[in-house]
Amino acid sequence: MTERGVPWLVGLALAALIILPAFVPGTYYSFLGIVVFIYGIVAVGLNILAGYAGQFSLGHAALMAMGAYTTALLTKALAPLPFFAATGLHIWFGVVLGTLVAAAFGALLAFPALRVRGPYLAMVTIAFGWVIFKILQEWVSVTGGDLGLSSIPKAQLGPYLFDTGSFYYVVLGLFVAALMIQRRLINSELGLRILAIKHSEIAVSSVGINVYRLKVLVFVISAAFAGFGGTLFAHQQNYVSPDNFQFFSSVFFLLAVLFGGAGTLMGPVIGAAVLTILPEILQDFDKFRLIIYGCFILLTLYFLPNGVMGLLADRKLRAARSKMGPTVVGAKSPGNLPTTVGVGLQLNNISKSFGGLQALRDVNFRVEPGTIHALIGPNGAGKTTLINVATGFYPLDSGEIVIDGRAATVRSLHDAARQGIVRTFQTIKLFGNMTVLEHVLVGCARHSRAGYFDAAIGRKSARNEAARNLDTARELISFVGLARYENVPANSLAYGHRRLLEIARALAVRPQLLLLDEPAAGLVAEEIHALGHIIRQLRASGITVVLVEHHMELVISISDRVTVLDYGVVIADGPPTAIQRDERVIAAYLGTPHAAA
Amino acid sequence: MYFFFQIALSGIATGAIYGLIAVGYSLTYMTTKALNFALGMWVMLGGMLTYSLIVLHAFHPLAALAIVVAALFALGIVAERFSVMPFLRAGSDVWVMSTLAVGFLMIDLAEIVWGRSPTPVPPLLGKNPIYIGPVAVLPQQLLIIAAACVTFIALDLFYRRTLLGKAFRAVAHSGETSSLMGIDTRRVQAVSYAAAAALAGFAGFLVVPLTLAEPQLGTVLGLKAFAIAIIAGLAAPRGILICGLAYGALEALISGYFYTGIRDILGFSLMILALFLKPEGLFGKPVEERA
Repeated sequence: MTERGVPWLVGLALAALIILPAFVPGTYYSFLGIVVFIYGIVAVGLNILAGYAGQFSLGHAALMAMGAYTTALLTKALAPLPFFAATGLHIWFGVVLGTLVAAAFGALLAFPALRVRGPYLAMVTIAFGWVIFKILQEWVSVTGGDLGLSSIPKAQLGPYLFDTGSFYYVVLGLFVAALMIQRRLINSELGLRILAIKHSEIAVSSVGINVYRLKVLVFVISAAFAGFGGTLFAHQQNYVSPDNFQFFSSVFFLLAVLFGGAGTLMGPVIGAAVLTILPEILQDFDKFRLIIYGCFILLTLYFLPNGVMGLLADRKLRAARSKMGPTVVGAKSPGNLPTTVGVGLQLNNISKSFGGLQALRDVNFRVEPGTIHALIGPNGAGKTTLINVATGFYPLDSGEIVIDGRAATVRSLHDAARQGIVRTFQTIKLFGNMTVLEHVLVGCARHSRAGYFDAAIGRKSARNEAARNLDTARELISFVGLARYENVPANSLAYGHRRLLEIARALAVRPQLLLLDEPAAGLVAEEIHALGHIIRQLRASGITVVLVEHHMELVISISDRVTVLDYGVVIADGPPTAIQRDERVIAAYLGTPHAAA
Repeated sequence: MYFFFQIALSGIATGAIYGLIAVGYSLTYMTTKALNFALGMWVMLGGMLTYSLIVLHAFHPLAALAIVVAALFALGIVAERFSVMPFLRAGSDVWVMSTLAVGFLMIDLAEIVWGRSPTPVPPLLGKNPIYIGPVAVLPQQLLIIAAACVTFIALDLFYRRTLLGKAFRAVAHSGETSSLMGIDTRRVQAVSYAAAAALAGFAGFLVVPLTLAEPQLGTVLGLKAFAIAIIAGLAAPRGILICGLAYGALEALISGYFYTGIRDILGFSLMILALFLKPEGLFGKPVEERA
């Protein structure tokens, strides 16, 4: 996405790769090329997972093994049949089946491992790699044990048998295809969602996306790449053994991604090429292989934290930032929001405690549709907990949630968003260096009907939808007044603009009820004024707004109704003017004269 | 029936080793949410150092123990400073790779220093088995079980009774708040990493007479210990000991009654199943994140 200067370079490199074999005698370099391309395909798959989605796997060698052994067994079994011997179809069946088997095992692994965040995936994939390695060694009758499987058929199309020289072009073609698939995927709406989970899983689920399922999907896609690479490896080497797929190979792939540049389109290519060719040069030092790799890993992490490609991209990003003008207050030009049918929300007798701390005690909270309802109270009163409970972020201890007059269960943040209830966060949660436009597009994704495969094959409906979403996103961005920052990375936005961006992203989900958690915190007076204007316009368009806020002036001036919480209990509820005079409210904020004594 | 007890008991001894290593993962996970992915190599280093001191240089075992634990603690401080700390702030999981890289260095260096061939190390309390009824047990195995229990009790007391232990728990809960309360979060993180390394060294010291001293000694131990830490719950030290002992016994029984080759396959599959059914671990409490 930031690699704009690269296309002609890539074209040049591709031309060289096509022409060069004609001038280089012998098959050694063609062979080396095939290995680089195969490893490149696996690394591209791992890059989608580790680089773009931020999930580390150290089991890709085992997934590759699944592909390699599947096609080896299948093609060896089918090869004697005359039909296959004549057509060579068994090879391509094997390639497809091997890819699918690897993807299936990827799913089997991802479902448990991705239920938890953190380093689980990396360690579980190591264990998976170990199990597969052991099975390959022990299940001698099928896998051939340590000796592996030999005389795997060569790639064949019709009567034509590929030799190293011609197979080179097949694998080169498939490798380029893999790169193009990666590019399409990352530039699609699905790609934006994948990028976003690396930065904030909570924010992604707040716009109605099931993060768990998305991560599993990414893992499965990544596993398919690994399996595909494995099948090609089997038909290239004509021999596979457990040694080809040791833990160390998994480390090799992850290192290739990190060295080349995790989360860049061409990074895995560079990584795979350098790491394949380097050991060829350093063959004499094989005794110190682990030391060399260990040092290489550490040096890469220290001096190339964003990889080779990251170095180039960084420079461009910096240039983009310095062009940014001074910050101005947004929302001068209200775009036209589509009208919405706001929903009401009732929380009946809800309680929530954390260990011994009762954060909410038998709270009743009733929001009428189409109103601005403020929720105020001193720090620690339970306001954010109430939002968390209403949006399924925390499970309820007891009580009932009623949305639009019907009792509802809200199982998770994304479930809430799907029921029309969207929230923003007290501590702003944005997607790092993704641009303003990309943020809002992630929000739009909730209503996209076209899947990735529609987008990948470029179906018209998918293209139309993408265009519509782009329009919607731009309208929302100009509605909150960020139109001139459309292509600015969020992490270089001014603080107030970040708040507005969060609101724009939430609006992209087309909420029927929007929960704003302290949107004015940290804003200057002008910005608060603009914010008030925006919130009023939301109400005018029909959206119900729940506003958790400390800024009393804002609350009093725009709210239709105010509820006051203190120590987890509702102490007042009514129109803003009444709340201002309520003695208990004043006492809660300022303390009572007695309490001081 | 005595065959059953015979196998189970030796399995429990192996399990005690798993538990000792596994609690090391828990120590660093609680304070930094990061793990030493090469903890098994640290076990190996502890074992090889033990071999070096006792067999090659005729140190008294207790002196050897003190040196091993102190050396690994010190190395742990250094390794944390250079392979974990710089990457914790980056907010990405690259410490997975950097801790592995340190482990790679250790394996090759161990091969250069001590060679690849496995060498026996004499057990601390002699080679003659003790008989409990008809069940024969090696003194080393009893020593391991006792040492693990003592270590876990000490750890429990540390977490609950000492100021530093309470600081550990506070950092585990919220690093930011702890540092506001005047806890040196950095120090706690470094010490937890070094303590995990020292515990791994201790485990290496205990286990090396039962295995053999060789550079590949810790690889699988470290992996199994992690499986146990996940099954029990990374934030549940007590559960880790129980799961460790149970896992060791189960594993030994599988090898004894079925077939050794299937042992690790079953064990790791068990971990994946446990993760699916109870992601926070059998003894863990679900964590509620904050928004």
